[in-house]
Amino acid sequence: MQFEVGKTTGLVGLAVSQSPHEHLSILYSKILVSLQSMPQDAAYRKYTEQLVSERFNHVKAEADVEKLEKKINGGQIEEVILQAECELTLSRKMSEWKPWEPLIEEPPPNQWKWPI
Amino acid sequence: MAASLARFVRGGLGRGYNLARSSCLLQQQSRLQSSTAETRPTIRPKDAVTHSQLATFGEYVAEIMPKYIQQVEVTSYNELELMIHPDGVIPVLTFLKDHTNTQFRIMIDLTAVDIPSRQNRFEIVYHLLSMRYNSRIRIKTYTDELSPVDSAVPVYIAANWYEREVWDMFGVFFANHPDLRRILTDYGFEGHPLRKDFPLSGYVEVRYDDELKRVVAEPVELSQEFRKFDLNSPWEVFPAHREPKEAAPKLEAGDASSEKK
Repeated sequence: MQFEVGKTTGLVGLAVSQSPHEHLSILYSKILVSLQSMPQDAAYRKYTEQLVSERFNHVKAEADVEKLEKKINGGQIEEVILQAECELTLSRKMSEWKPWEPLIEEPPPNQWKWPI
Repeated sequence: MAASLARFVRGGLGRGYNLARSSCLLQQQSRLQSSTAETRPTIRPKDAVTHSQLATFGEYVAEIMPKYIQQVEVTSYNELELMIHPDGVIPVLTFLKDHTNTQFRIMIDLTAVDIPSRQNRFEIVYHLLSMRYNSRIRIKTYTDELSPVDSAVPVYIAANWYEREVWDMFGVFFANHPDLRRILTDYGFEGHPLRKDFPLSGYVEVRYDDELKRVVAEPVELSQEFRKFDLNSPWEVFPAHREPKEAAPKLEAGDASSEKK
């Protein structure tokens, strides 16, 4: 790496996080709470719970930031925090939209037929 | 040539980001060095691995959002396409942007296609790119001349000018767009030029009028009438492809189907 690992992330506009474990734990627990409001068989809830619990377990198990980054394998820890924040807003919006319901409307006939 | 390209791909992309590995995620494309001699080098090699990975990923997305996704396809060029209902533009785009397994953070393109024979003549196409997983996806919706589509600007700021262009060229209205006005046509221009019923030379032409001392718009006068050449040959071009190819068997709940074009 060309940059000092503890001093900068190497990415513009992304500051080094001082307490990534704490930050991530808070975010992951919030995501899991937000997922509780969805039905148990919703695919989004299943896959996101699996993903988030896996990452949460890594965070709880590993204290060293570099090793944690390697275990999660999602880029720098600050990027992982950003991903978790996005996932949190997404899960809240998904509770409103409820995309696990069946298809709202079938397309008109021949709508997707190609070549015409 | 393929070998050097494969070396470049592996060297260039492996250095930057760590690509996350998970059962649902795409892996870097690896060109297999075939041991048998290549008999037809000009035929595009079929990469079944990438095709199946994209098909799996398409099924994953379709399973999460069955409310909006009507169809999923992987084209013969290994491109993933999602066909969605127009109400689902913002949910699907937000999901693809924010979800950790997808992370399509970049919008590459937003265009429309005019197919006048359909009931909903305009097909709005979004192209997204994921830097983390090095993959692209195409999302298609439909609308007709009068129904508005939700603007993608709250999700991707890049959609701003693209939607203005689609409005200007096709007449598709985007609801909740911050500033929907013409972008390419002249200030008083009437009509939507890229529609199929708009003529090639347009309806008006402009010239500078010396008496009025300004530019005036007048109906177009062509010195030669428009000639359309039908360049099809009288002989059948593809005698081996007379019947349409059957679609592959439907997978799962019928949401995902992979079609060869």
